[in-house]
Amino acid sequence: MAEKKKLSVAEILAAARKADSGGNEGGGAPSEKAAPPAEESSPAAAPAQSASAPSEPPAPATAAKSPPPKSIEKPAAKPAAAPGDRPSVKDMLAMARAGKSAAPTVKPAAEAAAEESAAEKAKPAPKPAPKSAPGVQAAKAAKSESPAEAAAPRSTASILEAVRAGKRLGPISKSELAPAPAAVEAEVVKPAKMKPAAGPMPAKPDYAKKTSPAVKDEAIESRRTAVGFLGFAVGSFLAAGFSAMTATFGLWTLGFARFMFPNILTEPPNRFKVGFPADIPPGTVNEKFKTQSGVWLVNAEYNGKPQIIALSAICTHLGCTPNWLEAEQKFKCPCHGSGFYKEGINFEGPAPRPLERFAIRLADDGQLEVDKSRTFQEEKGEWSNPDCFVPV
Amino acid sequence: MHVDHVLFMQQVSAFLGPYYLTLALLNAIAAAVLTYQLKNARAGLISVGVSFFFVILSAFAWNGLPPGLPQSVRDMANVALTGNRGAVIYTLGTTALLIALFFTRKYWVRPAVAWGALNAALLLMGLSMISPAFFNIVSKADNVPIVSLVFLLGFFTWLATSKAVANDERAKQGLPPLEKLDDEKILVWPDLVYTELICMVVVTVVLLVWAIGLKAPLEFCAERAKTPNPSKAPWYFLGLQEMLVYYDPWMAGVVLPSLVLFGLMAIPYIDFNKKGCGYYTIAQRKFAYCMFQIGFLELWVTLIVLGTFLRGPNWNFFGPFEDWDTHKVLALNNVNLSDYFWIDVLGASVPRVTSDMTGGDAVITVLKREGLGIVLLLIYFIGLPPVLASTVFRKMFVRMGFIRYMVMCNLLLFMTALPLKMVLRWTVNLKYIIYIPEIFLNF
Ligand code: FES
Repeated sequence: MAEKKKLSVAEILAAARKADSGGNEGGGAPSEKAAPPAEESSPAAAPAQSASAPSEPPAPATAAKSPPPKSIEKPAAKPAAAPGDRPSVKDMLAMARAGKSAAPTVKPAAEAAAEESAAEKAKPAPKPAPKSAPGVQAAKAAKSESPAEAAAPRSTASILEAVRAGKRLGPISKSELAPAPAAVEAEVVKPAKMKPAAGPMPAKPDYAKKTSPAVKDEAIESRRTAVGFLGFAVGSFLAAGFSAMTATFGLWTLGFARFMFPNILTEPPNRFKVGFPADIPPGTVNEKFKTQSGVWLVNAEYNGKPQIIALSAICTHLGCTPNWLEAEQKFKCPCHGSGFYKEGINFEGPAPRPLERFAIRLADDGQLEVDKSRTFQEEKGEWSNPDCFVPV
Repeated sequence: MHVDHVLFMQQVSAFLGPYYLTLALLNAIAAAVLTYQLKNARAGLISVGVSFFFVILSAFAWNGLPPGLPQSVRDMANVALTGNRGAVIYTLGTTALLIALFFTRKYWVRPAVAWGALNAALLLMGLSMISPAFFNIVSKADNVPIVSLVFLLGFFTWLATSKAVANDERAKQGLPPLEKLDDEKILVWPDLVYTELICMVVVTVVLLVWAIGLKAPLEFCAERAKTPNPSKAPWYFLGLQEMLVYYDPWMAGVVLPSLVLFGLMAIPYIDFNKKGCGYYTIAQRKFAYCMFQIGFLELWVTLIVLGTFLRGPNWNFFGPFEDWDTHKVLALNNVNLSDYFWIDVLGASVPRVTSDMTGGDAVITVLKREGLGIVLLLIYFIGLPPVLASTVFRKMFVRMGFIRYMVMCNLLLFMTALPLKMVLRWTVNLKYIIYIPEIFLNF
């Protein structure tokens, strides 16, 4: 819905000015779009506007349209807006304040918008009109308001917005409903493109002129730069520099990766002997290898079968090293309080799964041999693998 | 043992003597301020009395007889705050306290009352010091900043609240907030630069004194096989560490912290309340204020305090005056929701995925096993927002629109999920609502 925004006098004046320049464009120079600079043009454009105005005699009559949402017929016509004559700023102000018919006042200017949108979107513009308005012909000729439009609440703000944007209105598009006769010729003359192109605009004020070429220059400039940059980037010092940098970084990464494979490993071997099974009596936890290798040797029952296992001393929660609490017969992690039974099953705290087992076997000399390179996880059902325990 | 105790008493006395004397001095200053500046003669007089009281306490402490909380009171506190029940009492207690403070804020923001509360807190801390366990925690070099931060936080919360209360009072009378009265501009030179200079000098002095007075809390050489017990995160992460106890690492360590960050970033886009910009207010932004304070005070600060004071060796809960016994045994058998459901309710055994199952079978088994948890979570995260939208948050839903509301609501639900899970863990030993270790997905 059109939002009801209170307009300040300044805004209304600005709108009126825009209206002027818009009309000017529409009537005088079809080739010029309502580019931002043009929108800012001032009453200086008024002469052109009044020149264009007569070509649309019914324009002021539009004032009669745009009744408030309730009644279609209600004529909000401004006597001040004599046919063929642009309504004075005072009139526009009065109407804008009335909150309903600023649009009609601005209409002659809005013509421009209508033309443009017609040019740009020739289809959408006329479309709704035939549908909703019974008297399309009349609407076209006299630019009178269609009932459909009148039915929708229209605010000054939305109309001004439309004028400003130079295209059709949001919900209650004026241009949609009023395809101006001029629109047709605009359609013919103007190609539908959005780029602001400098046109023969004699009546343009200085500051309006100034910006337009600037924009154009900038565009050309940037295009030139882009092409130049491309050429520059492909075969130049810059390219060489970046290639060198990439190569350096690549080598650097490779060199870094080399550190992952040191020549000498100072850590204890993955596979080591831990003594004879008799060293680990039933029901005990041997902590001898915890410090050096991070392994507990446990002689405990799992699923009713007594066995010797090698438990990893890494908490399955976040990797702290739990402690074996002999008195409580449990492993307890100091970081978040996970607890594990002797055989490694988690039962308290946040650890999501049991401790891991390492591979263990009876070596040929009768000693137990732990292989840390292979782990066995209970939750994956791997503890039944005979490689991870030595039955006793 | 006896020698130890004598040494300890000397240590405590050496601390408490100056401590009480400082408090006496502060109260004397406060008496002057209250009487002459705030024109509150009665409070000033009381403050003078309090000052004398502290002088006497100080004299006792200097002479090696620091007064302390009676053993019975300490025992009571220990019993109340130990173990899982202690955690529940602590959490519910702080929540109730914060709520009470919120509703009685008009009373507490009065300078004299706030000053009295501060005095009471400091006195309580002084009296607690004669418990070795408490003294060790508080005087640990790691924890000194935490203790001072708690007081600082109290001060700033009071400051902001009192301003907000004043502004709300003014708003009721149709006056503009205090901040709008004075022109916000100040000169960079000399006003701002001088302020900054003074701050710089003060901070430098504090840091110097701190660095000289307290030894850096260095620990023994790092060793892979030896994790300090208890192993505590830096104080500002204690809340996160606490969270890790209740949620899977990826949830508590990655998802929830990111949600906290993104949620904080999202606040400006969620917030539709245009009021309260540039001035303190509570009445005009009740929801935003309460949510923030719940998130900050309840879910961050109280967890820091909990982690500092109540978490001991093996990450067990200890009372504030309880000795940290590494071998304290607490029954903490945690049970998954699926276990509760299958074993206790259905009297069946929990379906397990075995290695000979095909992929499809495994998925079905898991879904069957965790079905209840999955449904509950879906209800919580998907079913609850519409219900809330049509009841308590109806007005907000209308004003926010669907997307903003859903974002807000889900952030909120994630936030409340933490205390919910904590209390469930403490009360019914609930471990995970969804437990799928096969793919490391637990919630
Ligand atoms: S790392 Fe062991 S409980 Fe968190």
